[in-house]
Parts: sequence; C-alpha cells; structure tokens
Amino acid sequence: MSSSPLLELRDLTKRFGDFAAVDRLTLNVASGEFLTLLGASGSGKTTTLRMIAGFEVPTAGEILMGGAPITGLPPYKRDINTVFQHYALFPHMSVRQNVEYGLRMRGVPTGERASRVNDALEMVQLTQLGARSPRQLSGGQQQRVALARALVNRPRVLLLDEPLGALDLKLRKEMQLELKHLQTGLGITFVYVTHDQEEALTMSDRIVLMRQGGVAQIGTPRDLYDRPISRYVADFIGETNLLPGTVAESRGSMVTLKVGDALVRGLSDSALAPGTEAWLTVRPEVIDLLDGSPPPAGWNAVSGTVVDTVYAGSTVRAHVEMPGGRRLVANLAPGAAPPIGAEATLSWQMERGRCVAE
Amino acid sequence: MSLSNSPTLFDRLRSRPVLRTALAAALPVGFVTALLFVPYALLLVHSFWRLRNGTITHELTLENYGRLFGTDLYPNTILFSAGIALRVTLLSLLLAYPLAYLLAFKVKRHKHLMYMAVIIPLWVSYLVRAYAWKIILGQEGILNGLLASMGLIHEPLTFLLYSRWAVILALTHIYTPFTLMPIYAVLEAIPPGLKEASQDLYAGRWQTFLRIILPLSLPGVLAGSTFAFVLSMGDFLAPQLLGGNDSALMVSNLVWSLFGVAYNWPLGAAVSVVVLLLTLFLLWLANRVETAMNYGGQRGSGAAGPPPPVAAAAKVVR
Repeated sequence: MSSSPLLELRDLTKRFGDFAAVDRLTLNVASGEFLTLLGASGSGKTTTLRMIAGFEVPTAGEILMGGAPITGLPPYKRDINTVFQHYALFPHMSVRQNVEYGLRMRGVPTGERASRVNDALEMVQLTQLGARSPRQLSGGQQQRVALARALVNRPRVLLLDEPLGALDLKLRKEMQLELKHLQTGLGITFVYVTHDQEEALTMSDRIVLMRQGGVAQIGTPRDLYDRPISRYVADFIGETNLLPGTVAESRGSMVTLKVGDALVRGLSDSALAPGTEAWLTVRPEVIDLLDGSPPPAGWNAVSGTVVDTVYAGSTVRAHVEMPGGRRLVANLAPGAAPPIGAEATLSWQMERGRCVAE
Repeated sequence: MSLSNSPTLFDRLRSRPVLRTALAAALPVGFVTALLFVPYALLLVHSFWRLRNGTITHELTLENYGRLFGTDLYPNTILFSAGIALRVTLLSLLLAYPLAYLLAFKVKRHKHLMYMAVIIPLWVSYLVRAYAWKIILGQEGILNGLLASMGLIHEPLTFLLYSRWAVILALTHIYTPFTLMPIYAVLEAIPPGLKEASQDLYAGRWQTFLRIILPLSLPGVLAGSTFAFVLSMGDFLAPQLLGGNDSALMVSNLVWSLFGVAYNWPLGAAVSVVVLLLTLFLLWLANRVETAMNYGGQRGSGAAGPPPPVAAAAKVVR
C-alpha cells in the first residue's frame, strides 16, 4: 500500500480468561478498501470487528484511525458505524426514525437531517417504506434499513458483521453485488466479516483469512485462491485436491514432492527443506485428461482408476483413485469424461499446483 | 389382566376428539366456574337484595347502590384506597426498576441467584411479612430500639406504626417483587444488539437508556404497576394490622366490616361489585395500552420484542 492506512491494528489481542480470541493481530486497512475478515467460527473475526467498533476492549495492542489512537474510545465517539448481523433495528421506531437516529444523536439540524435521510432511503430503494415499522419489513428490506441507518452518517469506516447471513441464497447473491456497487460508488472503507468464502471472494479487494485469532493469509481473492501459503488456506478457500507427500527436491521456487510412488512438482513461496512433509494443492478445474500420449514438458501426470463421475451441468467431476488410495477430483468437459472403472491419466501444468506446508 | 384386542378407554377417546377435548377441559372449567364465577354471581345477586330489619330479603332493589353513592364514606374510602395503592405503585417502581435494570444488564455472575433473592420473600407467608413490620415499627420495636441506642431519640416514636405510612411501607415491601418480575422479564428480552446499535449511532449511555431501553421496557413497567396497584388496592391485612384510625379503612376492611360486624351483606356486596368493576376496568385499560405499545406486527427476526406481560399479569391477578 502506497498511502498511509486509514485503519491500523497493531498487535491487537483479546483474551477471554485463558482463551485468546484474537492474538497479536496486525493489519492495515487502506482508505476506500473493501476488506473481508474471513474465517471459521471461533477464528476471532467477529471479536476483531467488535474491537474496531468499540464494543470490546482489547486486552493488548492498539487501534489507530487516520494515525490517531482510538483504542480507548467508546463506540459513540468513533467515526465508525456498524451493520449488525441481525440488523438490530429499533422495534419501537419507524424505518425513518431508525435511519435518523445517528444524525439526531449528533445534533444535525432538522432540515439537513431530513434531506440526508431521504437520500439514504433512496439509496437503498426504501423511500416508500419510511413510515413502516421494521417488523413489517421482509428480511431483505430490514437489511437495507440497517445499511441506510449506518451509511447516512457517512462514517469513515463501515463495519459489517455477516450482514447477509440471514438472507436466502438468491437474495444474498443480489445483495452481494449491490453492496459492492454501493461501496465502490461511495468510496467508503468496508470491513466485512463473513464465514462464507465464496462471498469473500466475490466482494473483497483483500481478504484476511483468520485462524485461531491470528492471520492465516492476507491477500487479494486471487492470491488466496491461486497462491495459498499453507494447507489450511488451500483447503479453506474453494475446492482443491490436497496430495500429502515428502519434499524430494527444492530448486528455486519449484518443489518436487513424492506422493506415494509418484513424483509431482509445484511452486512454493517458502523454502521447503527436502525430507519435510508437505502437500501439493491443485484445483479440480486445472486438471486435464491425457489421451494416452505422454504429458507435455512442464506437466505433472498421475494415473489411476476412475471410481466415480458426477454430472454437474457445465462440467463432469471425475474422481480418480491413485494406487495407494489417494483420490484426485478433476472437472472435465462433459464429453471428455471417461467411464467408471477405466484407467485414466490426469495431468496439469506444474506452475498451477502449489506445494505448501501445514 | 389379559391383553385383549377390545378397545380400551383411551382407544375410544382417541377416536372421539370432541369428547376428549371436553373431558380435558372439564376440570379447569369446573374449577373456575365453582370457585370464581359462582361466587361472583352470588355477590352480584346479593348486591341487589334488600336488608330489612337486619334480615336479607329476596327483593330486588337498587337502594344499596343508592346508599353507596349517596354518602361520602364509600366513594371516599375507595379513593383513599386508590391513593394508597398509587403511592405503593410509585414506590415499588422506584425500587423495582433500578433493581431489575441492574439484574438484567449489570450482574453477570450469580444472576439467577440474585433474582431468586428478590423472589424468595414471596415464599414467606404474607401474614408473617406483615407482622414483621409490626415488630420493626412498634413502640418496643427494632427501629425505635435502634434509634434510642444511637441516642437520636429518648421517647419511642409512636407515629411509626398504625399509620398510613406503615401500610404503604408494608405494601411496597410485599408487592415490589411483583413489580420487579415483569420489568426484569422485559429488560431481559431486549436484544443486546439494540443497545450496541444505539451506542454505535453516537448515543451515550443516558441517551441509550432514555431512547431505547426505557421505551422498550414500558410494557413491563405497565404490567408491574398494574400488579402493584390492583393488589394493594384490594389489600386487607396490611391496613388491618398496621393501619391507624384513618387507614384501617381501606376498601377491603370496609367490605369486611359490612359483611361482619354490620351484617349488611347487600351493601357489602354492592361495594365489592363497584371495586371489582373498577379493577376490571384498570386491567382492560392496561391491556389496551400494552397492545398499543406492542410495536407493529410479528415479522422479522431482527426486531424480536418482549412478551406481552400485562395479558399474563391480568390472568394471574384475578
């Protein structure tokens, strides 16, 4: 990142008794960025978000916004707003009153307040529903109110805690796009928490994959998908084949792995010493079927028996069992799939697989 | 006993849902009818009978109601009782609300235990609790003893016991848990996210309380107030044991003396009917207000609201 970050977390730690929910997390968020905290439940992503919002007091570490420490500030003194997981709309107020709440608390004059509320309602296409009670709205509409209620304050950072978690799949997909458009259009920094890796891949500029209170990997969605730095990341993001083996040779960034009797090669960002345990991760969609000819130079080849083929519309997923029982899944063109029981050789470019440690 | 294929009683009932429902309902319906509706009906009938030369005659008349509203005594007693009940209600709220708030939001550990500590006095006989105040407030009582030993007084204070304040004090003590329970229930049901959302939207603690917590807890306040008011309005023992010359005459004591010493059942019944109607009106009113406060419909998981406490309270009280 070239410019100085808008939000900085430095060695941020939160302990609940003996349990470290967040453990020395250091992270920079650039202005206007869509950053996603992704992780399984218990990975510390929500606790991190709550510390940024001010609902949890960090055990150690610092939070800075625009270079100034905000670690000790209560939530109502932070230039940050939150879209809550279950929206947390005020049930005794109308939609309009909900959206107006933050402006009222900040003493924004009536005239400006009204026009800003109108703009916010228009932005989320709820102009007609201002007088309704939140309970008379559908889940998707409540979600929009929560969004308007936060964005009307023009925060420097918007925090979103699994905001689409309660919506059904179709609506979720729509809202993903809409949120992304809104964020790019307004230029507001989003810190977004989700456990849904697909959602993270779709929307984020960068993803922080969290694990046990720390960072498993930070990078663009592409980085995490194409260049995972550990077995955990490769397994968490998307679908992949993981072949366990021992490092036979390490030359530059190219690592040779012994998997059973076969030798396969893949790239690695870290130096893997020969003899150590490692995994080769290769995505099903980069694997091709060889038609008896020898593999081209720079390609790995693995032979086995086709044990299953699963039709999935645009592709057929072929499960191939290698000698020793390891299985590989390859996404093949529907016409190219071999019959079950046939011998097959799967092949992929060495650069498209990666060797990773645990 | 042999296992035969002939249908048992239960099998027969299973095939006859109407009979089954009727049987299931018979006991509670019979119970309520015999112990609630029949006595009320008798009361109502009595209030229209005439007392002639100390004997109740079965002649329909309105003269009991005429007497009731014709003198100051009866309306004044009812108003006086309502005044006492109002003060008890306010005091109970002042005590119960902060306590319920602390229990619901501030106490993290032993929450249940603390709640029980508030509720447990309800397990002690009402009579014992009323008598306890006699022991505390009496001339030879604990309070006078304490004040004397501290050198603050030389003569025992006589106004402590047998006054309307003693009655109010005892009633407040006795009915505060009833006020606390619905308030606590409503506060507990407020999703913690709402408080956080308010703070997230720049409202400090006090604003959050005034604009979010307090309005959302009003149904509980209403239920608690209804409890305290209705129960203390109809209270008999506290004024009997602790009341002075003026305050021994709450409406229940009046009814009691009309049925007892005065042997004027028709007039006693008429007073009872008026008080009963007043109480029912209050419950109806509380229910209406509570329904109006039950914001909007029931849709949406995000806006989970508190349960309707007055409806439940109304069923318990009478």
